Amino acid sequence: MIENNCENNGENNGDSNNISKNNISKNNCDDNSDSTNIRVGVYVCHCGGNISDVICVKKVAEGLANYPNVAISKEYVFMCSDAGQKLIIEDITSGKINRVVVAACSPALHELTFRKALQRAGLNPFLYEHVNIREQASWVHKKEPEAATQKAILLTRAGIEKIRRQEGLENIRVGANKHAIVIGGGPAGMRSAISLADRGLQVSLVESGNKLGGRLLEIDTVYPTNEKAEDILETLKTDIRARKNIGVYLNNEIANISGFVGNFQATLKNGETIAAGAVVMATGNKSYEPFEGEFGYRTQDNVVTMPEFHGILCNIRNNTSTNKDFIHNGKHIQSIAFIHCVGSRQQAETHQPQADGKLNEYCSRICCSTTLQAVNEVKKHFPNVKVFDVYRDIRTYARFTEDGLYEKASKNGTLFFRYTEEQLPTVQGKNITVKDVLTWNEEVTFEAELIVLATGIVPNNITNIVEKLKLPIGADRFLSEAHPKLRPVEVANTGVYLAGTCQAPMDLVESCVGAAAASSKAAIVLGKDHIELDPYVAFVKPEKCDGCQKCLPECSYVGAIFMNKDGKAEVNPALCKGCGACVAVCPQRALDLKGWSLEQIEAMVDAIAEA
Amino acid sequence: MANPPKILLLTTIASSYTGANTVGQAREQYSPNTYIIRVPDPVMFPENFYLRCFQKGIDGIIIMSSGSDCPYEGAYARLSGRVARVYKLMKEKSIPIHKLKLTTICTVCKHPFLKEISDMQAAIAKEKLA
Repeated sequence: MIENNCENNGENNGDSNNISKNNISKNNCDDNSDSTNIRVGVYVCHCGGNISDVICVKKVAEGLANYPNVAISKEYVFMCSDAGQKLIIEDITSGKINRVVVAACSPALHELTFRKALQRAGLNPFLYEHVNIREQASWVHKKEPEAATQKAILLTRAGIEKIRRQEGLENIRVGANKHAIVIGGGPAGMRSAISLADRGLQVSLVESGNKLGGRLLEIDTVYPTNEKAEDILETLKTDIRARKNIGVYLNNEIANISGFVGNFQATLKNGETIAAGAVVMATGNKSYEPFEGEFGYRTQDNVVTMPEFHGILCNIRNNTSTNKDFIHNGKHIQSIAFIHCVGSRQQAETHQPQADGKLNEYCSRICCSTTLQAVNEVKKHFPNVKVFDVYRDIRTYARFTEDGLYEKASKNGTLFFRYTEEQLPTVQGKNITVKDVLTWNEEVTFEAELIVLATGIVPNNITNIVEKLKLPIGADRFLSEAHPKLRPVEVANTGVYLAGTCQAPMDLVESCVGAAAASSKAAIVLGKDHIELDPYVAFVKPEKCDGCQKCLPECSYVGAIFMNKDGKAEVNPALCKGCGACVAVCPQRALDLKGWSLEQIEAMVDAIAEA
Repeated sequence: MANPPKILLLTTIASSYTGANTVGQAREQYSPNTYIIRVPDPVMFPENFYLRCFQKGIDGIIIMSSGSDCPYEGAYARLSGRVARVYKLMKEKSIPIHKLKLTTICTVCKHPFLKEISDMQAAIAKEKLA
């Protein structure tokens, strides 16, 4: 263990008592105006042997002991352990240090652990820097221990340089309106509204149509349980009616929406205004609309889309006199063909682009299971009808569908043909021609009286809300989450959450699970009287700002940066997302990011480059 | 022996920094002359930041952005525009443009991550030979 306590160091002897007093009584937030008052504690972790088996941690600690502003440099077997954290806490409370750098694993694992340790010691938790020398050094440079050690020293120096320039930060606190707006009254929206209401929040459920249900209204039965869609819908509606804290707005849309987490203001088309703390986007999807002539759609009356087929099935089943006979447009249908991947997995060579010039390159995920469900329903209720399934790949991925639906269809007499992306099937009247992979690319032509296109899904048009709230849209036109694994129902705009198929193609179960997750996230945020936001937002140094306004067009978030009455730029921390786009264009360097200032990053680069 | 070239990897908290961790978790090996800095988004860097890095002795910079999946509205388009302007400035100052590369690395992009490093190493080595 190496210590270079600045209290015993000639440079700082004179004021060590004052420093110690400041540390404890003033939370050490404001004592970095004089760099000699900055005393950094560096702690290098062995991580058992995960780091120390490759990197010489003793050498790292020794190499940093005399670095400017480093008061203590130690190595320890497990810094994240109680004993490791105690080392830091004791050094802080004894006044030896007022900044902390831990060189250890990824910050994703223990940055928060150490920030909390600082907090327990009475130090501002943001006076902490985490240096990753495990995932990004010892684990990836196993065969070069000396070079890995030198790299660890440089990375830790960079961390020291950053923390030397760090001021204590406070989380941003904004009030929380305990009211949520759920936009979209499909199953995801209904599920969200119920979950939010159960957590004690007032909910406004806004639906553009004249009834709740969304695309569930179009469906006959759902896979894999074969439940009637209308029964599921009735259960959801009953649950909504039973909750007095859910207000339903039918035939209504969001005309305007603005604000930030805790304080959104929405105006409906009927002029009514709603103030809410969170917004759940459950705007759903619609079925892909084939082009005229695409597989004979609209040019032949025997070609229908999957939603249209569901309507036909419902009508037949509601008409008991035609039991066992599949009658459509007055004709007895003896054969039906289903064509998969219509409007999904498109590629330039074989598909026509959409109106916006893009192709639907994504898999719509639900069509294979929906198609096989329909195939099995036909064979169950109309066993004499011949069924052909023309597919590219079978992707019945959900639980109980992977084997159940496909196997059932295979055993009930459905005839499968497989095409490739290079050669799509063609439709001419009743004739379908497929170059069939299953028979070694033999060209097969067969007749089907009714042709059903397994149409994919596309997101509903929500341009108005997207523009108003500046929501991120992916290349596939669906709303884009902040992170598919780490923040799957959030967007960069805090307080806005994604539920269901506005985000990506998903089935009913996934939509409802996503909706429950989104409402849980919203309920957590609105669960307290105040919302604490990360302090990493842009800020202006007014003395440097010359009012050039170059920052304004650079910001994508309405109201996040504006000119104040003194003609200087000013940031609304609740609206700023902390991307830093404005920082780059300020010629005076009057704008910067809290916790990630340009000066800090430049100093890190210098520490790496100049060594 | 001459010091190995230094390659700076500018990574995003949302994507590529986690991607670098994924590479580590998989124990994939790459050269230790690579230094990762995490930032919310590299769109925060003005054009002269990159020139300054080269001036200070950094031999190559790989900007590992979140690409079109960037959680910040419009940030990737702005970043691309900015990097295009940096290339122009680099040409004016006779700095080889292969020393700077804008890429997109996601949280699980192990092989693209390794390939970008390998490509940058090769480009710098070629330049040194020339």
